[in-house]
Amino acid sequence: MSGEKVLLNTEWLCDCGGCHIALVDLHEKILNVLESVEIQKCPVLTDIKEYPEAEIGILTGSIRTEHDRHAALEMRKKCKTIIAFGTCAVYGGLHGAGLAHSREELVDCVYKNSKTTKTDFVPSERIDALSHEVTPIDEVIDVDLYLPGCPPHAHFIFESLTTLIEKKKPETNQETVCGRCRRVMKKTDVTEIKDPLEGVPDEHTCFLSQGYICLGSATLDRCLAPCPNHGVACSGCAGPSMQILTEPTRDIRTEVADRMSRLTNIPAEKVKQRIESSAKTHYAYAMATKMVGNKPTFLIQKWIADVEAQ
Amino acid sequence: MGKVLNLAPVSRIEGHAKIAIHLDDTGNVEDAFMHIQSLRGFEKFIEGRPAEEVPRIVNRICGICPWMHHTASNKAVDGAFGVTPTATGHKLRELLQVMAHINDKILHFFFLAAPDFVLGPDADYSVRNVIGVVKAAPELATKVVQMRQLGQMMIERFAGKAIHPIAAVVGGFSKPLLESERQAMIKDTQTLLDFAEYTLDFAKNNVFNKYLEVIKQLGVIKTGFLGTIDKNDKSFRIFDGDLRLMKADGTFTDFKTEDYLDYLGEHTEPWCFGKMPYAKSWGEGFDMNLDAPKGIYRSNTLARINVCDHISTPKANAALEEFRSVFGRPAQQTLLYHYARLIELIYACERTLELLNWDGITDTNVRAEVTPGAGRGVGVVEAPRGTLIHDYTTDENGCITKANLIVGTTHNIAPMNMSVKQSAIALIKDGKYDQGILNQVEMAVRAYDP
Ligand code: SF4
Ligand code: SF4
Ligand code: SF4
Repeated sequence: MSGEKVLLNTEWLCDCGGCHIALVDLHEKILNVLESVEIQKCPVLTDIKEYPEAEIGILTGSIRTEHDRHAALEMRKKCKTIIAFGTCAVYGGLHGAGLAHSREELVDCVYKNSKTTKTDFVPSERIDALSHEVTPIDEVIDVDLYLPGCPPHAHFIFESLTTLIEKKKPETNQETVCGRCRRVMKKTDVTEIKDPLEGVPDEHTCFLSQGYICLGSATLDRCLAPCPNHGVACSGCAGPSMQILTEPTRDIRTEVADRMSRLTNIPAEKVKQRIESSAKTHYAYAMATKMVGNKPTFLIQKWIADVEAQ
Repeated sequence: MGKVLNLAPVSRIEGHAKIAIHLDDTGNVEDAFMHIQSLRGFEKFIEGRPAEEVPRIVNRICGICPWMHHTASNKAVDGAFGVTPTATGHKLRELLQVMAHINDKILHFFFLAAPDFVLGPDADYSVRNVIGVVKAAPELATKVVQMRQLGQMMIERFAGKAIHPIAAVVGGFSKPLLESERQAMIKDTQTLLDFAEYTLDFAKNNVFNKYLEVIKQLGVIKTGFLGTIDKNDKSFRIFDGDLRLMKADGTFTDFKTEDYLDYLGEHTEPWCFGKMPYAKSWGEGFDMNLDAPKGIYRSNTLARINVCDHISTPKANAALEEFRSVFGRPAQQTLLYHYARLIELIYACERTLELLNWDGITDTNVRAEVTPGAGRGVGVVEAPRGTLIHDYTTDENGCITKANLIVGTTHNIAPMNMSVKQSAIALIKDGKYDQGILNQVEMAVRAYDP
């Protein structure tokens, strides 16, 4: 029996564990998956510590230590198809914000300038040191498929696994979060950008129309738009849309600024400035990737330095 | 020359760790360590961000207990901005956090820990996992998967995201609960409560009675405990209250959460990225010596069960009384973390029902008005894996200038190291060990659910 099953390995690198939990949370569908898949290495579920040969390899998290790099290379060697699973694996993820700080700043904050810790050293014995920056995995190994999302919704996880198991061509829905959002975009005469805490947003109208910044139109849908459908604007955790990735002159702020200025009476320039001034928040998830970080329009370190100089 | 046994990674836990057991020339244990390998530096990269954004960012510290980071962080920002959430907003946050506890306990007990007990600690490592359980006990496994699904979907339907939630906001909650949603949730929670009671019975018969000898020995150490209690009647709490720091002899001190700096400190070892909290207020320093530990306390389920005077919900309280009559207070055996976890599972179901039956829960006044500003706020909740502390200072624009975080698991890093060493010394003699024995060392860690 098991000989006919598709062999699967998973491994986590520097991450929060949420993507692995999302896999487990296929719920009853995981039982379906188990009928045709043999899970081998999977740190959260099994005790297999080595890397067996496998058809499919799921990698979550990004690369922060030598241990992470080694694990990614081993997975590539042993697995025919590698999926970069989750925003951390695809774009570096939230801790890619490490990019805005040096490694020294991070460790000094944690060990030396903490309210509860008074230490004059940084741990370094018999553990792998942190690398200088956070690296998305495709800068270290070849990746066959990308499934961003923080974490990706079960709908997309199941869809991608079944496609692979049945050896079909993967579907690549390129819609943005707006596609699944139930709010209605309409033209308003709003003239000022609102803070997220200002007033109570109307639950049926697009956030942009009401003057609140929402990153839905610049974000790939791998989540079914839970945030705008439950009262909160999208913060872009699944990473940028295809349009932003493929067109060199577009980026998150230009996309949102254009759309917002068309829906309101707020000038696009004002929206752009606002996003730049809180770049650490609005570029939170995809800072570490060259796909975004090398864009000519993207000057995040400068924007952060400008704010900090004030 | 001695040698080092590396167990890397420790598997079926929720974090990133490895164990190194150092043997001397005769093959006996010289020392043992649990190394925490991961460091991301959230305290630094939330600096400068608008504080109201932070509760949805810090979730990413941990994908297993994101709700607790979400609520603790919201409380800390409320404190810094000087806002009191509306009564309904406050209770909705508690509701979601307590529901997340239900799902977490089902996940941990059945998916991560149960294979050791259902299949046995010595079962072949390639089948000793939840997939093995699915094969060995398919009906139970299907039921477990359905229950976890029921719980997670309750959260997802109402609050949008179960993993990395967004629905709690500074000042309260982002949306009200509809009457129809409340009715559906009451029904589902009743099903979960029945399952919780079944689980505790199952575990008493198949785990705790069967493995009594192992429980008495594996990973046993003697420490203090930290947990949250109700401000008034000193009963069990996981969402709010005061902190209680108990010594190994059962004496204790209670304090306000915002005063934690007077009681707790963090120690750093050069071989571990994870910092090790200890009881600074005991004035004895920090030492992981197995026979005479100094400053060491534990948190998480067993700690909460030990520190509370009683539990406010009837079924969980009955289970607590039975537990105490057998194991005493404070109970020290490490594997009892599993037992305590299942008592908490019953509490979490009962408390969810209480909250859903509260008249005000469907009120639409879910969010207080908020003005960002300068201040300091300390948000404390009990995460499944221990007391979680978020402490923020903000500037006049409401941006974070300083953050201090003590994450649930870290309280147990020093105790886990001690339990690893204790079990390694007890199990590995004269160079004799096998994968069953090494798995038992990992079981000592797994009990803490790190
Ligand atoms: S993508 Fe999000 S959920 Fe997945 S590991 Fe990274 S932070 Fe966690
Ligand atoms: S911009 Fe945001 S609120 Fe507007 S439609 Fe898109 S996702 Fe919905
Ligand atoms: S923040 Fe945006 S991308 Fe992330 S889950 Fe919410 S709607 Fe989806």
